[in-house]
Amino acid sequence: MDLLFVLLINGLATGMLIFLLAAGLTLIFGLMDVLNFAHGGLFIWGAYSGVWMYHVTNSFTVGIAAAIVTGLVIGLVTEKVIIRPVYGNHIQQILITLGFMLVLQELIKVVFGPSQKAVAPPAFLEGSFMVGDIVLIKYRLFIILIGLVVFFVFAYIFKQTRIGLIVRAGVMNKEMVQSLGINIKLVFMVVFMVGAALAALSGILHAPYSGVIYAEMGLEFSILAFIVVIIGGMGSFKGSLVAALLVGCMQAFMAYYVPSLSLATNMLLMVIVLVFRPQGLFPVKG
Amino acid sequence: MLRHMNKGTVIYLLMFLLLTLLPLVVTGRSMQFILIQIFVFGIFAMSYDLLLGYTGIISFGHVMFFGIGAYSTAIMFDRFEPTVGYLVLAVIVGVVLAGIVSFIAGILTLRLKSHYYAMLTLALAGLFLVAAEKWTSFTGGNDGFTFGLPDILRDSNMIYLLCLISLALLFFGLRRLTASPFGKVLMAIRENEQRVESLGYHVLHYKVVASVVSGVVAAYAGVLYIISLRFVDTSVFATDFTIDVLLMTIIGGVGTLIGPLIGAGLVEFAHHWLSGLADVHWIFERWIILYGTVYILVVIFFPLGIVGTIRAKLTRHPLRKRNDLKGVGS
Repeated sequence: MDLLFVLLINGLATGMLIFLLAAGLTLIFGLMDVLNFAHGGLFIWGAYSGVWMYHVTNSFTVGIAAAIVTGLVIGLVTEKVIIRPVYGNHIQQILITLGFMLVLQELIKVVFGPSQKAVAPPAFLEGSFMVGDIVLIKYRLFIILIGLVVFFVFAYIFKQTRIGLIVRAGVMNKEMVQSLGINIKLVFMVVFMVGAALAALSGILHAPYSGVIYAEMGLEFSILAFIVVIIGGMGSFKGSLVAALLVGCMQAFMAYYVPSLSLATNMLLMVIVLVFRPQGLFPVKG
Repeated sequence: MLRHMNKGTVIYLLMFLLLTLLPLVVTGRSMQFILIQIFVFGIFAMSYDLLLGYTGIISFGHVMFFGIGAYSTAIMFDRFEPTVGYLVLAVIVGVVLAGIVSFIAGILTLRLKSHYYAMLTLALAGLFLVAAEKWTSFTGGNDGFTFGLPDILRDSNMIYLLCLISLALLFFGLRRLTASPFGKVLMAIRENEQRVESLGYHVLHYKVVASVVSGVVAAYAGVLYIISLRFVDTSVFATDFTIDVLLMTIIGGVGTLIGPLIGAGLVEFAHHWLSGLADVHWIFERWIILYGTVYILVVIFFPLGIVGTIRAKLTRHPLRKRNDLKGVGS
């Protein structure tokens, strides 16, 4: 029982990290019809720049802020330089974002060096609580908390604010939104930057969680995010949370019981969804 | 016989004949090895071109077919005897396995938007890589293993000839395929899928067949690759190869078949020279940056690639202009 609970917490924490990455991916896809294969690059840049600031200033909060700023800046550049010239052409978009992913990944090695970097959680998040016999590691609870906060803040923005209304309308029918006099390009840019910032946030939170960061983890982690986006339904924010938690828990349980099959089970989940419900669990109506 | 061939075929035939004579002139081992690599990756890139250039499908996991071919050959030679019989058996096993995998991937995702195929193949290739790393009793894991070759292939000139003849046969075969009514339908799907569908063609069938043919050819390239190395490890499933082959196809010119061959030559020589330059300046160790940048620039500014751009310049046919990546729908 204790073990199951620990694994569940583990799975939820992993799931929240995947959710942060997948949320940006799915929003960008829903709104702009762009599948950003460079999203994993934003994840590692968030991780490396955040960890660098964290080690320099010795404050994890500053590290998180640095990661978010990095995400916003790289997101802006990506949207303007990489996505815009090929807007509306799926094949070129897919090809070009993958190329940019490589450049981002290799630039990490140039700027921060090619070797792995060890990262420890900050002092106030180290250690664990004991509830009865169950050990709750503080940092994992922290990740789950941040994930939930992000989800509810965004859910609030979508449901209650004007910008949320515009984004939701844009996902359904962007031509209509544009014809109502709204600068959809600006909306695209903002959504892209926010999605990039979420990826970067996911990166910096992941760093102390796994204890070590390396350049290739972006591509590895983004494969999980792609699986989540397919399972949850492309363009669905809620779907990405549910699917991410599902994939995270699967990952955690399989990693404990049958470690060699953890990726395979998630793939199997995706295949089942593709066969029986190719639009995903929570399809976006439009 | 020559009278019945068109000019292009004769030129290509002459080029391949010249290449068979090359070992008489080029005796350097490393040079011959580079040429073999070019032939192997030329086959691999042509298979990719059938998908990307002719049908408008993007795969980010094409390396898995390559790896399937490579491992089936290596394991066959290692477990049984390195004879020509087992080589043939290995080719059959590799090709059938690759065909099944590409059939399943195609059936699952090709009816959906192009993003799905790209994502699914990327994830599947990741799965194959993990499987090869974990299943050490079968694959040797990260360390890999060496194996013997059939007697007839002990001489590297024979490997050179085998790769070259394979390349020539597959080149003419694929050229014939893409010029056939079947190939025309594939190109029509690339240009306007809805239109083809409404004309009564079963688009999914055509796409799946294209993906299976492409996977099978890629597996064969993997067989040749592993023969030229006499060693196998998990790197045959690495994403790097997919990216290399993508670059070869894009730079050379999508939808041209000869373009990817030229691209293969350029990329292989660039590999060779750039890794040599690593002693000059450390930045050359990170040559992927250079690759990625070139690749992004080509996608934005020369979506036709080398061959495509030249052809567009030569033939000012108005329809030729549309014969590129633009206008490809969902």
